[in-house]
Amino acid sequence: MSLLNNLEHPTDARIWRGDLPVYHRYTAGVAGEKFLRALKDQGAVYGTRCPTCGYVYVPARLYCERDATHLDDSTWAPVGPAGALVSFSAVWVDLDGKRLDAPQWVGLVRLKGASSVLMHYLQTPTGALHAGMTVQAVLKPANERVGSITDIAYFKPL
Amino acid sequence: MSMRRVAVVGAGMTKFVRRSQETGRELSWEAVSKALESCEMSLDQMDCVVMGSAPDAFDGVHMKAEWLSDGAGAWGKPYMRGYVGGGTGVFAPAQGWYHIASGLFDTCLVVCEERMSPTQPHPQAAFNSIFDNFTERALGPNLLWIFALEMNAYMNRYGLKKEDIALVSVKNKRNAADHPASLLGDPNITVQDVLNSEVLAWPVQRLDVSPITDGAVALVLAAEPVARRVTPKPVWIEGVGWCLDTAYWTNRDLSYPTYVEEAARMAYKMAGIKEPRKEIHIAEPYDPFDYKELHHLEGLMLFGKGQAPEATARGVTQRTGDLPVCPSGGLLGVGNPIAAAGLMKIAELFWQLRGEAGKRQVPGDPRRGVAQAWGDLMQVGTVVVMGK
Repeated sequence: MSLLNNLEHPTDARIWRGDLPVYHRYTAGVAGEKFLRALKDQGAVYGTRCPTCGYVYVPARLYCERDATHLDDSTWAPVGPAGALVSFSAVWVDLDGKRLDAPQWVGLVRLKGASSVLMHYLQTPTGALHAGMTVQAVLKPANERVGSITDIAYFKPL
Repeated sequence: MSMRRVAVVGAGMTKFVRRSQETGRELSWEAVSKALESCEMSLDQMDCVVMGSAPDAFDGVHMKAEWLSDGAGAWGKPYMRGYVGGGTGVFAPAQGWYHIASGLFDTCLVVCEERMSPTQPHPQAAFNSIFDNFTERALGPNLLWIFALEMNAYMNRYGLKKEDIALVSVKNKRNAADHPASLLGDPNITVQDVLNSEVLAWPVQRLDVSPITDGAVALVLAAEPVARRVTPKPVWIEGVGWCLDTAYWTNRDLSYPTYVEEAARMAYKMAGIKEPRKEIHIAEPYDPFDYKELHHLEGLMLFGKGQAPEATARGVTQRTGDLPVCPSGGLLGVGNPIAAAGLMKIAELFWQLRGEAGKRQVPGDPRRGVAQAWGDLMQVGTVVVMGK
């Protein structure tokens, strides 16, 4: 029998409050750095094609997870900006479970030329969405891009 | 027990650095690539993968073994993470060993990664919640409190001076000057340098402590028939052991690591070692602090209680001494990316026993070595014995 079962006011139980006072500085990495710079400066989305197995990673990576092949500079090539919608959803609650006034549309997109799939925002659709339809990346204006995956503002159905 | 013989057949590591541009995944991949290349094997020849990495809070990624898995080469393979805090780097090869010794797999890729640099404002903060809520957290402790109190207890028990202990830091940082991957190698460091460094928590000073480090190490393990095909120089894992003491760290004997002795007894028994001081030719005990090398040498029963400092002063533990200790340069010299640092010690034994340690090579054809790590709430000992 735990104490709390019999407490009329649970806050009467002695507690300690605490947190983990840490924050982090995440490194983009060797491939990530180059990918984000190209997105910011050129407005281009790059992938790397594994010369061993042919898989095309987007965002570009330094190595192939399937065979450990080094994906050097010669394996880099732009993909998209159009791609195929793999799946989609309208999200009605936020991170804290609070109901949203309007849904946030999200989707999975396989950019043209890519093997891997990217999750991103979708423009609020005016018609029906369906898997396999073509969508296209809409980038923020060059002066608003900061070198983040959100430099792609959203994908819009074509 | 009927278990198969397991050998280390390949090893690779990244450079140990203060802050890497590579992500943890990229570091893992680099170590894996080098390990596979060293034994001319490919990823598809690896039957399973073991990942060792210490607190998630360092990388700032919850369940970070899953995050690291692509760099570790785990795609489409049986994969598991082992975690015993600082003891992880010597526990991971023990896990790899039983994957193969049991007969489940013929090969195993063992990868250990750590990036401490992402943690802000200091990696210390990630440890805040390991202390007991009831008795300790209210006091605002950090890890240095434990080490300072333990170091002082050890010094008081045996009447040691700071100079006696600083010799360890000097030896290891000098040894590390010959390690191509080291962060803090220094061929000219002196005892006086250590004694003059800033006091962090008396008696712990800056140069008594290993640095914050990023890095990764990988090993290829193989069952005997595979090992003999792959290399003429397999290095056998002859014994493994691990043991946990109480989480009430204040109640332990702070001047003697009994948990290390218990782990060593388990490993020595498996390896058929009856007189460790005579039968072991190289030791790589865990040395995040200089006094810990001494502490652990005694726990490993390589020196009597309280006798490791005197042996160090006599030069016994130098690379050219009768029992070379941390010929790699250890955590104090090569660096301390927690889990990767422990596996670096296993890689060092692999290179030393094959005669491939270059400028670090211990003379006299060493045939057997022991590596050990220490962790969790400063209460776990992990031990691996290797021989050729």
